[in-house]
Amino acid sequence: MGRSTLEGRFRVIDVSPDEVAEVVRELFEDGCYYATGMGVDERPLNGRFAVYHAINCPKRGVYVILRLTAPEDRPSVPSITPVLRGAEWAEREAHDMVGVTFENHPNLERLILPEDWPDGVYPLRKDFPYNRKVAGTGGTAGVRGERHDEATMSVPLGPYHPLLHEPEYFELYVREDRIVGADYRGFHVHRGMEKLAESRMTLNQIPFLAERICGICGCTHSAAYCQAVEEAAGVEVPERALYIRSLMLEVERIHSHLLWFGVACHLLGFDSGFMHFWRAREYVMDIAELITGNRKTYGINLVGGVRRDLSGEKIQKTLKLLEMAEGESREVIDNVVGMKELIARMEGVGVLRRKDAREIGVVGPVARASGIDTDVRRDHPYAAYGDLDFKVPVYRGCDVLSRFLVRIDETFESFSLVRQILENLPDGEIINEEYSLPYMEFGLGSTEAPRGEDVHMVLTGGENQVYRWHPRAPTYNNLPAVPLMLEGEDVADAPIIIASIDPCFSCTDHVSIVDAGSGRVLWRGPLLEGVERLRR
Amino acid sequence: MMPELSTLVNVAFVVLFAPLLDGIERRVKARLQTRQGPPILQSWYDLIKLLKRPSIEPSGSFGWLFRLAPAVALSSVLLASTFVPSLLARSMGFWGDLIAFVYLLALASLFLALGGFASCNPYAQIGSHREISLLMAEEFSLAFIVAGLAVSAGGLAFSAMFPLPLKASSVVGVLAFAVMVYVSGARVPFDVAEAEPEIVEGPLIEFSGRSLGLMKLTAYVRRLLLFTVLLNFVIPFGGVLRSSVYVAALLVLSAVYAAFEAYFGRFRTADAVRFLKRFAAAGFVCWLLAVLGW
Repeated sequence: MGRSTLEGRFRVIDVSPDEVAEVVRELFEDGCYYATGMGVDERPLNGRFAVYHAINCPKRGVYVILRLTAPEDRPSVPSITPVLRGAEWAEREAHDMVGVTFENHPNLERLILPEDWPDGVYPLRKDFPYNRKVAGTGGTAGVRGERHDEATMSVPLGPYHPLLHEPEYFELYVREDRIVGADYRGFHVHRGMEKLAESRMTLNQIPFLAERICGICGCTHSAAYCQAVEEAAGVEVPERALYIRSLMLEVERIHSHLLWFGVACHLLGFDSGFMHFWRAREYVMDIAELITGNRKTYGINLVGGVRRDLSGEKIQKTLKLLEMAEGESREVIDNVVGMKELIARMEGVGVLRRKDAREIGVVGPVARASGIDTDVRRDHPYAAYGDLDFKVPVYRGCDVLSRFLVRIDETFESFSLVRQILENLPDGEIINEEYSLPYMEFGLGSTEAPRGEDVHMVLTGGENQVYRWHPRAPTYNNLPAVPLMLEGEDVADAPIIIASIDPCFSCTDHVSIVDAGSGRVLWRGPLLEGVERLRR
Repeated sequence: MMPELSTLVNVAFVVLFAPLLDGIERRVKARLQTRQGPPILQSWYDLIKLLKRPSIEPSGSFGWLFRLAPAVALSSVLLASTFVPSLLARSMGFWGDLIAFVYLLALASLFLALGGFASCNPYAQIGSHREISLLMAEEFSLAFIVAGLAVSAGGLAFSAMFPLPLKASSVVGVLAFAVMVYVSGARVPFDVAEAEPEIVEGPLIEFSGRSLGLMKLTAYVRRLLLFTVLLNFVIPFGGVLRSSVYVAALLVLSAVYAAFEAYFGRFRTADAVRFLKRFAAAGFVCWLLAVLGW
């Protein structure tokens, strides 16, 4: 059997409510950022509610998990948002779904549940059956931010707009052609995946559900989930399986980036680029089909390994397709980079300063374009990445162009990674099914998705179930930065700015059960104040 | 042939052929993007479908202006097509001139923008703002070009300008006019007013059914008329071959313009306006040459 590359990936620390803010502050000052957090109903065990804050410390290669608990009759813990604003959404989510109150949270309003959801009903508590129907209270959906003045026009971007392929809502406040403020409402399309997984799915069904979190980067979600369980249960994964996982993750990254380049061209009015990028992407889809049987949503990962092996013949075919995909991508990218007017439209647009980026905890290409050197593949090696050689591109422009350039470099790194994997593919088994699942063991799996760090936290349920599963997609961390990027820009640039984080709304929205969807305003009252507050 | 009859033939030709030309352009662009592309008649199919459907008026719009705009826009381009010689050379005894043509086209743009304002949709407002900014910048360049060509030809009447005398000023003028044809045709990168991924077709967003069909037809006719005037500057007048040379040249021009379109990304409005202001220099050169008698 092989080895686990996941040793020492995280450390769970029980902290007392009095010291949590201080610990978080020290961690942040040490270069860590807020990755994700979840609320857990642990009453069946110990009669308490728990909150897990996962803080990523890339320099030390470890996730620090701060665990806070509160008694059933007074489910309240201190908020860490005043110390680290990246925690804002996670705390609001835990408040919505599990009913934990965060003392001193600056804005503990609903984030996920719709306006007309009754108070005091918490869908992720264990005494809430997954199939229970909740009658709405008849509240109105969404109170909009007020207008600034007569000269300012509010422009709704969504819930249906050709830019957004999913229902999301941005409200732009526009004076002449300039954006003076922006408002975001999301979580319109909850699928209640966590509840579904915890209530009625078995351990090895969940990878397929996790894969459906996102239509573009699904493999990374199933891999992160499997890693979390493997970590909790101490499962040894055969080395060949780890290599195949890395292979599919890189294939997925290439396809996702090529897709993004196409979309970016389309948004900038250059439809020829759009079509040519997507033509190059077809080869990558062919590779995926060859190896997994599926062009997208590969369905390759299981706890303990992967489902399909790779023959020598397939490797040869893959290498051929890879050459074509790389050649064509190179050609199109060279052409696009040579188009001055396209580059001019990305340069200096949608700026996210490094300081804001750090505090919000943005991840992936968005972070790397703002000068933050972070990459889960290198900082917390998983799958086969520990054995592979690759560079992590970092740009300091903080603008859309930098995000574009980061993705270009990454795409070609990924081509090289796929070659390395195919050349060094070790022999052996592809799955280890000899393991047993402990009860209430914590596991964390993280991957570098095409859009950034993807974190899954799991509490095992013994037998064949998970007690708690909390996936967090990269867009969840990147989205709060978008209103900052939009402010002061030209309306014409709004689409490319929003797209520059490569948003994947449904990934962000998967997190819990919601009946029908109206999001809720992030900030009440005048918008500028809201943006101000977020910037603080 | 009687002038009335040939006018009728010309208008019919323009209306029937303009959507076809769009179909060809779509096909050319598709090929350059390695797509198969729609059938050449697709723009016609779309129009027929739209014209069969009712229009919906957004609540809160200025209903009468919103209803009127597509009709006025189409009428103004159709009126222009009565006096611009297209398929047949003789048309309405030539009572029109270049100024009338330019203003009728501007009227169509204006009513597109007004229709957008009348819908009270925020995207339409932005789009209409952009349309007007662009229109003003265009007029600025066009004024010099038209003046230069008029001096060069010795008059603004079509009878004097079609075809233009072979002079340095008219060569520069025609080339500059060819660029303006591209710009006025609302082609990428100058399609800022309609920019689909940004402002969802701008002024057109609230138009539907019949009124959207009329707006689309206006846009197609406008492009064809611009090509026609450009060709009339150079095609020798009269003669048996004129009609076939004209149609062939239309197809070539249209393919060339579509190909250009496939190789650009969209400007921001400010960039487009800046480009047009600078471009006025070319018009100025044309005018200067003409005044000097070259």
